[in-house]
Amino acid sequence: MSGKPDVTLQGIIFALERYWSDRGCLIHQPWDAEVGAGTMHPETFLRVLGPTPWKVAYVQPSRRPTDGRYGENPNRLYKHHQYQVILKPSPADVQDLYLGSLQVLGIDPAAHDVRFEEDNWESPTLGAWGIGWQVLLDGQEITQFTYFQQAGGIDLAPISAEITYGLERITMYLQNVDNVFDLEWARGVKYGTVRHEEELQLSRYSFEEAWPTYFQQIFDMALVEGPRLIASGRQFLAAYDWCLKASHAFNMLDARGSISVSQRAGMILQIRKLACSIAEAYVQAQTPPAPGVEAARG
Amino acid sequence: MAEFLLEIGCEEIPASWLPGLADQIRDRFTEAAERAHLEPKSARGFQSPRRLLVVADVVSRGEDREEQVWGPTLAVAKDASGKWTKAAEGFARKNGVSPDELQTAVKGNGPDQNLLFVKKVEGRQAAQVLPDVIAATLRALAFPKRMSWDAWLDDGKGAFAFGRPVRWIVALLDGEVIPFTIFEMRNGAKADAIVRSSDVTRGHRFLPRGHGGEAITVTSFGDLVKRLNEHYVMLDPQARAARIGSALKPAADGGEIHDDHGLPAEWRDLVEYPSLLFGDIPAQFRSLPVAVLQTVLVHHQKYVPLMAGGGVARFAAVVNGDGGNGEEIVRGMERVVTARLRDASFFYEEDRKRALGDRVESLAGVTFHRELGTYKQKADRMVALVSAMGERLGLLRKPEMDAAMEAARLAKADLTTLMVREFTELQGVMGGIYLRAEGNVNPHIAAAVQWHYHPVSIEEGSAPDTKDVGDPTIFGAVSLADKLDTLAGYFGIGLNPTGSSDPFGLRRAGQGVIRVLLDFWKTDDIERRPSLRKLIRSAVMAYGKFPKRGETEILNDLESFLQDRLRYVLITRGYPADEVDAVLGAREPDALDDPHEAWVRLKALHRVRSEAHEDFEHLAVAFKRAKNILEKDAPAASPDPALFQEAAERDLHGSVQKLQSVDGGYEARLRSLAGLRTPVDKFFDDVLVMAEDQKIRSNRLGLLSQALSLFYRIADISKLGG
Repeated sequence: MSGKPDVTLQGIIFALERYWSDRGCLIHQPWDAEVGAGTMHPETFLRVLGPTPWKVAYVQPSRRPTDGRYGENPNRLYKHHQYQVILKPSPADVQDLYLGSLQVLGIDPAAHDVRFEEDNWESPTLGAWGIGWQVLLDGQEITQFTYFQQAGGIDLAPISAEITYGLERITMYLQNVDNVFDLEWARGVKYGTVRHEEELQLSRYSFEEAWPTYFQQIFDMALVEGPRLIASGRQFLAAYDWCLKASHAFNMLDARGSISVSQRAGMILQIRKLACSIAEAYVQAQTPPAPGVEAARG
Repeated sequence: MAEFLLEIGCEEIPASWLPGLADQIRDRFTEAAERAHLEPKSARGFQSPRRLLVVADVVSRGEDREEQVWGPTLAVAKDASGKWTKAAEGFARKNGVSPDELQTAVKGNGPDQNLLFVKKVEGRQAAQVLPDVIAATLRALAFPKRMSWDAWLDDGKGAFAFGRPVRWIVALLDGEVIPFTIFEMRNGAKADAIVRSSDVTRGHRFLPRGHGGEAITVTSFGDLVKRLNEHYVMLDPQARAARIGSALKPAADGGEIHDDHGLPAEWRDLVEYPSLLFGDIPAQFRSLPVAVLQTVLVHHQKYVPLMAGGGVARFAAVVNGDGGNGEEIVRGMERVVTARLRDASFFYEEDRKRALGDRVESLAGVTFHRELGTYKQKADRMVALVSAMGERLGLLRKPEMDAAMEAARLAKADLTTLMVREFTELQGVMGGIYLRAEGNVNPHIAAAVQWHYHPVSIEEGSAPDTKDVGDPTIFGAVSLADKLDTLAGYFGIGLNPTGSSDPFGLRRAGQGVIRVLLDFWKTDDIERRPSLRKLIRSAVMAYGKFPKRGETEILNDLESFLQDRLRYVLITRGYPADEVDAVLGAREPDALDDPHEAWVRLKALHRVRSEAHEDFEHLAVAFKRAKNILEKDAPAASPDPALFQEAAERDLHGSVQKLQSVDGGYEARLRSLAGLRTPVDKFFDDVLVMAEDQKIRSNRLGLLSQALSLFYRIADISKLGG
């Protein structure tokens, strides 16, 4: 390696983009809707379904309204950034590939304590789960590593490996910084300068000012529009946007404390049902018609 | 004999699975090798996060042997004129001989003669059968959770789910590679090979520096152990444990370790080459409650807290390596701990701004279970149940009842605190801590709130310590109310545990109930000892009506469930199952009406039986016989001496009369009852119980029944001896 790696937040993103691009990944962009995790990007949720191989990587800003701390907590954010890699099917050297990416960032695993500790992942709203680890670097969780087993309630084959880097966490480690707002986003520009006001405003909005009725209406509309789009001709991508809207509205209502206990499980189930029907429509659209059907048409 | 070595190299397997998997690979291999006639000897299993290994001696070639193949009975094989039938000819043809070459013999217990073909089976070379043995071993390993990883085995079963992906396999028979292949599964069918067995293993992922994960060719088990050691993999878990133990010794000798929380045992299987590092807790966090510090260190980071000056001052952590670059690694660890402790101290300050009692109403916003309502409702039912224990069942004196009701009201309130929402394992504990911090609190109430989720483990003497729980009856009442309410609720909506599935931990709750009654509740005052039967009824009644199930059905299920739990706890305490069943089979007193008393009886039976083992074996046989006879005919209510015909009857009657008036504890009574052996044996030798004369018969049965009932107040002795 020539010289010291650039460990600004954007330097790390550049390095990961280059690394995974060199290994055959398509470099995608963040999904342009509010999501809670990179998993909800259709490049993960839909692409892991069905038989077609796929390799993709992207940054995904992830909103978790209940984690908002008004920009006061040095470790918690309303919105953080994930770097998401999907390798489908999962190659036999996937762990080594991942460890190679740490080397590129300037982390020599032989000089640290890097461990894969059991941590399985589940998303009840997406009907998705997987087996895997959290990767610990000197006791700090820096990555979630998951072998997807199910998405949208559908058993997966082939199995995709999902690597989710917590960008702020890794950067804080590499810059030796204890407060996320002190991170260098770019040389001479602090994370706080870029994002602190956003954290403050969005925390205030989601905890204090968001109008529950409005988000309840979005939720209800999404649960009408989404299923309608599936029923009227399998427009799964349009329907999926509504599914994400429902999910975000649910998170906002949750942060606002306006989901009653009796509602909660039911709402999660509604989103899950929509997600499962979208997954099903997607898989059907990928499956080529059986030869008999083709012949009948011809 | 030849040495067979099988190493399955995997991606990191969860530490908690590993000890069991080492036993499994040893046992499953042994079973499969036995089925293949390889006569495996001295098999040993080993585990590390990245490998499961079994090594054993096997024969290099199975012995030649004979197998019996049974054909039709003679009646079917020959017709009336003694000629072979089609059936006989078919059987012979299938085995490649003519019917005249077959033997005839009696099959099993007979009586029929059957055709028999003795098949000579040539022993097979170990190298030929081992691939199937490997497949069978891998298939038979049970994991808490399996994963699909697009793998396929050519053993006729296809798709091959496993605990984690397999990345290499070493399979050596006296140094020769036994071929074995795992294939990729593509579109539901076999595709390219992804793992082929070889003589190449892998060292530590990262060490030695510059040579991490190196391929190492090995020739035997001994060679593999040595080469792995050079490459920073300690294969033997005991060696890893010893290395951890010696690194922890200075801290242990210095009195810094008050409780290692069982972490060193877990560390052993988290790493392949353990080294210990030590970090500091920043001074500003040392004043946090010890329980909070321990939770952050133990549960979240798996670090052992080290105490100094009454607080947690340092921690010990295991790393997977030689401990090099320790200072930088420790700095990283300390940073994580500091971040978490900063959160914790924020929660601690915030939570204390609101008294625990003021939080009770907010429990209305926390679900207990969708069909069973909120924690506020649960708290209300717990209070009602404690009140019933005092008022209706007379188990608590007024001051005990008042304190326990207050503790039941507050018990769940800490579920609304930030600390418990973040660190759920601190439920109960934080309630106790916050109550004490408020000052002016009855210490028994704080202790009951803190400990009411316990007892969790079932061993006698395991947590909680009796001296920590305050008044054992106040603690016991709250603990019982919590668990019985949970049991009544889940059983009420039909979520009883079935088979191995117990997602709500109901068996553990049931065992907790039993432990409170055996180990905690004050037992000196017999009037205030709880009847479990009555407690269950009160707990179910506190819910009112259940829509799906009737009260009788729920109560019956709960009674047999708790009887099972009682049986399980007693057996776990080391009593033979037959003695436990004998005691639980006694009629008066019924074990559910006084579980503690059942335990006292069991201890007595165990002691006396071990002194007079033979007497009890005889009595058990005799009473089993007596019980069988008594099932057939009705005994006289009480035997009439005028109807006795034989001396043995009069002797037994005399002994029974005498024993009926024996007083004293269970042991004394059992000892004198053991004396019944001779008259009972003699009675059965000399007397025909089922006499022709109905009066004499029922008189004799009456005498037997009386003799049996002497025991029934202690144990159903006919259950002894299995």
